[in-house]
Amino acid sequence: MKNILLVCNQGMSTSFLVEKMKTVAKNENLAIHIWAVSDAELNDNWEQADIILLGPQVGYLKANTEKVVQHSKPVEVIDFVDYGRANGKAVLDKALKIIEAKG
Amino acid sequence: MEGNELIAFQIISNVGMAKSKFIAGLNFAKLNDYVNAEAAIIEGQTFLTAGHKIHSDIIQQEAQGHKTEFSLLLMHAEDQFMTVETLKLIIVELIAMRKEFIRV
Repeated sequence: MKNILLVCNQGMSTSFLVEKMKTVAKNENLAIHIWAVSDAELNDNWEQADIILLGPQVGYLKANTEKVVQHSKPVEVIDFVDYGRANGKAVLDKALKIIEAKG
Repeated sequence: MEGNELIAFQIISNVGMAKSKFIAGLNFAKLNDYVNAEAAIIEGQTFLTAGHKIHSDIIQQEAQGHKTEFSLLLMHAEDQFMTVETLKLIIVELIAMRKEFIRV
């Protein structure tokens, strides 16, 4: 079971993207836990995640997030073109590739 | 994804990138690196302009009688846009002030 955590300001548009990603995962029969939180909730959520994806609007938090997770797992900013199209498949594929490369 | 959802996401994505760039600019200024600070502001402005273009397109369409269906997501996009516009004004001012005070 892989765990993908998305982080943005209020978790609104990102939770929308999460739904798209879940649909893709379900259609491809992938057992993946995907969830979205606001940046304020990062502390309570990062330990369960295999990768942390930041929305483009919180890309400036990348360095800080890496510090919070003590560089123990990948932290990536979602490509703004993929985000702008709420392209769940592209975001999911890229995240899985990074997890595999790491693991 | 299509229609209104796509429009809202395009706005959120572009103004979101703008926000990140403006804050990166402020962080450069805090290191007294005004060259990179200015470059980041210009980059941010490009994203903000792209978001503005998408937004003004739907306003013009509405003026021509093609109403955009209202949604919470679209309101959220406008909220983000407005916030980043304000943030830009403040950050540009903060960088200018910092530059000025460093000289004194």
